[in-house]
Amino acid sequence: MKPRARHLHDERLFECYLTERSGDALDPPAAEHLADCDACSARYAEMTAFMESLRRDGDADADAVFTPERLRLQQQQIARRIEHVGRPARVISFPSRIVRRTIGASQSRTAPRWVAAAAAAGLFVGVALGASYEWNTRRIPVASFATHDANPRLAPVATRGDSPVDVASDDAFLSDLELALERPHTRELQAFDAFTPHVREIRDQR
Amino acid sequence: MSGDLRPLPVVDAPEFETVDPPAGDARRRPAAALSDDSQLAIEIRGLVERGEMDEARDRFGELVTLHQRRASRIAYQYLRDASEADEAVQDAFVKVFSHIGSYRETWPFEVWFTRILINGCLDRRKALSRRDRWFADTEVSSADEARVAAAGPPADPEHRLLARERRARVAAAIDRLDGRQRTVFMLCHYGDCTPREVSAMTGLNESTVRVHLFRAVRKLRGLLGGKP
Repeated sequence: MKPRARHLHDERLFECYLTERSGDALDPPAAEHLADCDACSARYAEMTAFMESLRRDGDADADAVFTPERLRLQQQQIARRIEHVGRPARVISFPSRIVRRTIGASQSRTAPRWVAAAAAAGLFVGVALGASYEWNTRRIPVASFATHDANPRLAPVATRGDSPVDVASDDAFLSDLELALERPHTRELQAFDAFTPHVREIRDQR
Repeated sequence: MSGDLRPLPVVDAPEFETVDPPAGDARRRPAAALSDDSQLAIEIRGLVERGEMDEARDRFGELVTLHQRRASRIAYQYLRDASEADEAVQDAFVKVFSHIGSYRETWPFEVWFTRILINGCLDRRKALSRRDRWFADTEVSSADEARVAAAGPPADPEHRLLARERRARVAAAIDRLDGRQRTVFMLCHYGDCTPREVSAMTGLNESTVRVHLFRAVRKLRGLLGGKP
């Protein structure tokens, strides 16, 4: 009886898978062993199924995303992108023509510039005149008031009469008013206020 | 997320030529039969060199048609956002057309193009991770989700929900891979590249690519419990 060879290692089985996938024939010892040994044959079948299912899933996944329509669009996009490859770049005649035109334009714009300057000057003069007029109109009433009301202190007094009695009663009224305003309104402080000498009282004593 | 991202070598065309093809690689020998897309790229290069740009653009459209779907799959798996993936694919194609003069038939066009695409995706991923520090993270945008739901068969809500959960689980598991493991896995698994082609794209040794790929798959199986 022919002694059975040892089982094939995983690495060897994988080599067999790669060989078979590339379309080549398996090496005879490995092929014979796989034919004879059920265990190795089952392991090989399991590994092949695993690899194939991985590939099948991956391809199905990608093919579902990259549909024929999408691939067609992609191809159009590539064609559009390579359209400019190898063609000389289009030179835009920017410097000479534009600069010349700019110079010409600046000369022709000399007159409008003067017009703009004159308009600005006119505006400035107008604003300045307007401001000075307003300033004068504000000053005039003040000056007239000053001339009419040269002695403002006398004006209210003149309405009350010029007699010395009236003047004294006015002074008393005003001093009472000041007193009332100077005194503290808080009841607790009024006692302290009574003790405190006031400037007015000292002045009256003199 | 960005910490594990190790950028691939620079993919700009002039530097790409400096990588010598490994000995014994029949696909990268100029004498070997060129693939259709590589031949087309050489024709476009000739047209551009002669200044026949309109014709070059027309022919480039054919090249776009050949690689567009695969490029979109890779970009979408990398970025998990349809708009970002769309822009990444467009940028890659525009970059290819702009630098078509530096394409050399030493390399299959697919390798050259995918390398440009992957680097663009990595840059975008970095930018997204920077943005995610400030905004809420979304694995799949709601618009994409709606589009997926609409494009799929009219399955019952339970089926849709399960499919959505499964996709999210797989995406999260892939996201947990180491940067190089993720790149290698994406290219091999979703980009249909052989380890040899991935080696050419990434500048990694082919055996290193195989090791990264195996570790990525083992980790994914561990994370997904053997089933996606």
